[in-house]
Amino acid sequence: MTAETIATAQATAAASHPYNEVVPGAVLEATKTGLVVSPDRIVELARYLRDEQGYDYCSMVTSIDWPQYFEVVYYLYGAATPKDALVLRVRLTDKANPVMPSLTSVWRGADFQEREVYDLMGVRFEGHPNLRRILLWEGFEGHPLRKDYKEPYFEEESKPFKSRHPDGAHQWAEDRVPWKDNVSYPVGWDPDLWRSPEVQYRRIMGVDEATGNGDGLRTERILVNMGPQHPSTHGVFRMVIAVEGENVVGLEPEMGYLHRCHEKIGERNTYIMNIAFTDRLDYVSSMSNNLGYVLAVEKLMGLQVPERAEYIRVIMAELTRIISHLIAVGFLFNDLGAYFTPALYGMRERELILDLFEAAAGSRMMCNYMRFGGVMADLPAGWVERARNLVWNRLPKVMEDFENLLSGNEIFQSRTHGVGVLTAAEAINYSMSGPMLRASGVPYDVRRAEPYSIYDRFEFDVCSRPEGDVWARFRVRMDEIYQSLRILKQALDGLPEGPIMPPGKKQYQVRVPAGEAYARIEGPKGELGFFVVSDGKPNPYRYHVRAPTFINLTSLEKMTLGHKIADAVVILGAVDIVLGEVDR
Amino acid sequence: MDYLRNFFVNLARSWTAWIGGFLPDWGVNLVNYLVVGIILVLMPVIATLTLTWMERKVIGRIQNRIGPNRVGPWGIFQAFADAVKMLIKEDIVPSGADKPVFNLAPILIAGAAALLWAVVPFGRGMIGQNLNIGALYVVAVGSITTIAVIMAGWSSNNKFALLGAFRVVAQLLSYEIPMVLSIATVVLVTGTMRMGDIVERQVAPFIVVLPVAFITYLLAAAAETGRAPFDLLEADSEIVAGYFVEYSGLKFGWFYIAEYGNLFAIAAITTTLFLGGWRGPFVSVAPALGPFYFVIKSVAVIFVLMWIRGTWPRFRIDQMLAFAWKVLVPASLANLLWSAIVLQIGRQPEQLGPTIVQMILLLVGNVAILAVTGLLLGRAARRYAAQHGWAGA
Repeated sequence: MTAETIATAQATAAASHPYNEVVPGAVLEATKTGLVVSPDRIVELARYLRDEQGYDYCSMVTSIDWPQYFEVVYYLYGAATPKDALVLRVRLTDKANPVMPSLTSVWRGADFQEREVYDLMGVRFEGHPNLRRILLWEGFEGHPLRKDYKEPYFEEESKPFKSRHPDGAHQWAEDRVPWKDNVSYPVGWDPDLWRSPEVQYRRIMGVDEATGNGDGLRTERILVNMGPQHPSTHGVFRMVIAVEGENVVGLEPEMGYLHRCHEKIGERNTYIMNIAFTDRLDYVSSMSNNLGYVLAVEKLMGLQVPERAEYIRVIMAELTRIISHLIAVGFLFNDLGAYFTPALYGMRERELILDLFEAAAGSRMMCNYMRFGGVMADLPAGWVERARNLVWNRLPKVMEDFENLLSGNEIFQSRTHGVGVLTAAEAINYSMSGPMLRASGVPYDVRRAEPYSIYDRFEFDVCSRPEGDVWARFRVRMDEIYQSLRILKQALDGLPEGPIMPPGKKQYQVRVPAGEAYARIEGPKGELGFFVVSDGKPNPYRYHVRAPTFINLTSLEKMTLGHKIADAVVILGAVDIVLGEVDR
Repeated sequence: MDYLRNFFVNLARSWTAWIGGFLPDWGVNLVNYLVVGIILVLMPVIATLTLTWMERKVIGRIQNRIGPNRVGPWGIFQAFADAVKMLIKEDIVPSGADKPVFNLAPILIAGAAALLWAVVPFGRGMIGQNLNIGALYVVAVGSITTIAVIMAGWSSNNKFALLGAFRVVAQLLSYEIPMVLSIATVVLVTGTMRMGDIVERQVAPFIVVLPVAFITYLLAAAAETGRAPFDLLEADSEIVAGYFVEYSGLKFGWFYIAEYGNLFAIAAITTTLFLGGWRGPFVSVAPALGPFYFVIKSVAVIFVLMWIRGTWPRFRIDQMLAFAWKVLVPASLANLLWSAIVLQIGRQPEQLGPTIVQMILLLVGNVAILAVTGLLLGRAARRYAAQHGWAGA
């Protein structure tokens, strides 16, 4: 059977789907895990879903390399009015040259994610405005997430590598494979001749437009590289900014300096190895990362988590949220030029919370605390009392200080009001999530919209502000700390006794039935999603992270244009990026 | 005891008498000028060595840290360790730099910082040169810094440095005006430009007579020297280090020295113009106390500036210029006008400094200006917030 006859056969099977009445021939098949959509009609269907069905929020785009075809997966939700997930799957049977139309014209939030799919999986998106590699550089040979890709120093398909222990002793792969032996470049590519491609910035440099401001004076834009070594890009992030004087007229984010192909390594790892590996994503909030990942795998395994473990998880996740927001607020002031003072005050409180993490998990930053079905260890004696003291006495006082010293500052207010505005519609269209989305007046919180763990038991408000500027983002983060404290009080009061893991022997090699699962949590920085596909083997077949800050950066250009250089830094600070997560 | 009471002047007299024993008159003058000159030129260096330590300690305390505490007791030799580090660093000149200008800029900026000290009266009669245009000299020498900064920014062939230089032009030119206007107010009230005489005629410190001029001067001076919250020219979170981003080693050190030299200098000038200089209790009995009062007052001003640096975020360039032109300039103009009017009321011939009545009138006018400025600012802020629908602004 050719690809076309398969398509026709499926079309007749799914012809009765309601969407097909509006967009004929769009849905080829309605599977358990989503609708298989024809690549030719997907843009039409997407527009219909967005405008008529309320699926205005394109949460995640990813791809899977199946033996017969590439599958591009779109996870859609409703943000303005919460709706359950709708999954669109596009199967591209031409494995040599997979092409499909881009959905960026429907959801701008698909922009970076489609670029990522192009970069790592090699699926081309027609009509994408800027289809360049995003995480890897131009001189990278191949698309690493394809199953036939072999990385340099490739040993075996999956861990644990038997070749590392030849005689019971450990051996470094790098010692055995001489450097450069299997590093390859694209055909006709000479790394020594490679220069930073100026041509890619033609758009923001406006070289195609006539220069000059109308009065005969010739003006020239200059290209300023903010980063990758810059004090306030929060890591190795690069903003290529075109400026006219102090005004930003063009911006292009460049990332990937910290790229380690997290997802490929995740596929090599066993399931449990990945828990520790998720710590390294957003290294400020490792507990939340753990939680998102174990939820995804638990969905596949169908595990029941004991009561006490659920409470502990919520406590840890909310403490993490407080840490992350304190740091976000503190370093926002740093970007404003407040010379570290608020940041260090935030850090001081963070240390106290990290002490708690250390007591429970044995580690301060890379906690590696959650396990499939529960948590790694029970809380030590006296832990709850320390946490109670922090939550009831210490943190409310600190928040009072923050309010008095920071929120009312005139300079701060004048610097943040009306800066980097995103309207509610734009925020949804750009797939903003977390505090960024809520600051634009969309009260969307995964903890409410699709409660996971035991969040449906707690009373808390979804903080949202209508302004959509940096001030609103600051305010939402501050308000969320209060709400986290509220949740923590309820959780610490209700913490039951009992086991922390489901009954049974502790396993190193968990059995995960074949299937796929997507779990999303309201991480401190936004919607943190983990997409896991299992084929029943000890390693995930596909492992994808929906990194909130990566997707939040999609709107950076939109927010920054027309502001001053100083504002660009503040707007970036208010996105609150962590490069470990952005570059993955 | 008598010797101690006027210790510094007596010391100078004994010194002159001693070298006068074996040198001709012109030789004595030459040696004295040289010694005073060297002391004044070293002032920025001394200021750097002490103030960096002080700043790090003060900001450390503000930030809930200890600050330097490893080199020497309480870390007081930290600055020396830093200086040694700076001396032994490699001197890098960017390949695209305009070398003569690039090399000249640090010399010029450090020179300007040293020149300011020539007219600062540390005590009665303790002044490098009691110039008859002292106040004008302060303003003029301060402007050399601007040129040096532009030179550094332009010659570095670096975009961040260039952006820093752009900002310098805008910032220093706008803040020069309120600064000159507030100095002019003091000059008008005292009737002299000699820095030494300004102190002599300050019966009451002008901070309580001319608070508007004091505030304007302090803000403008902070902007002139690029201190927070006006440190846009070297905003580390935006344009890395601004105009001196390409400098390293000792050349960077000169910028550092100039920064702290200027910091001490503006504190000293603030003290001279508004805080009564070396005046204080028992100075008439023991003039040797003068320099101590002077230093204490200056350090207090520096502490306030450090406090601001440790706690406030930075202005944006447009806001900063708007603040200078829309707030500081009108307020200081109004103040100057009011002072001119007051001084014409009941003016006696041969009058040195304002009378009590005049001082009260000046204070009333200043308070009124402050109140009106605050009122107008608050109203403007509320209107602006209402226009944009912001809450809590």
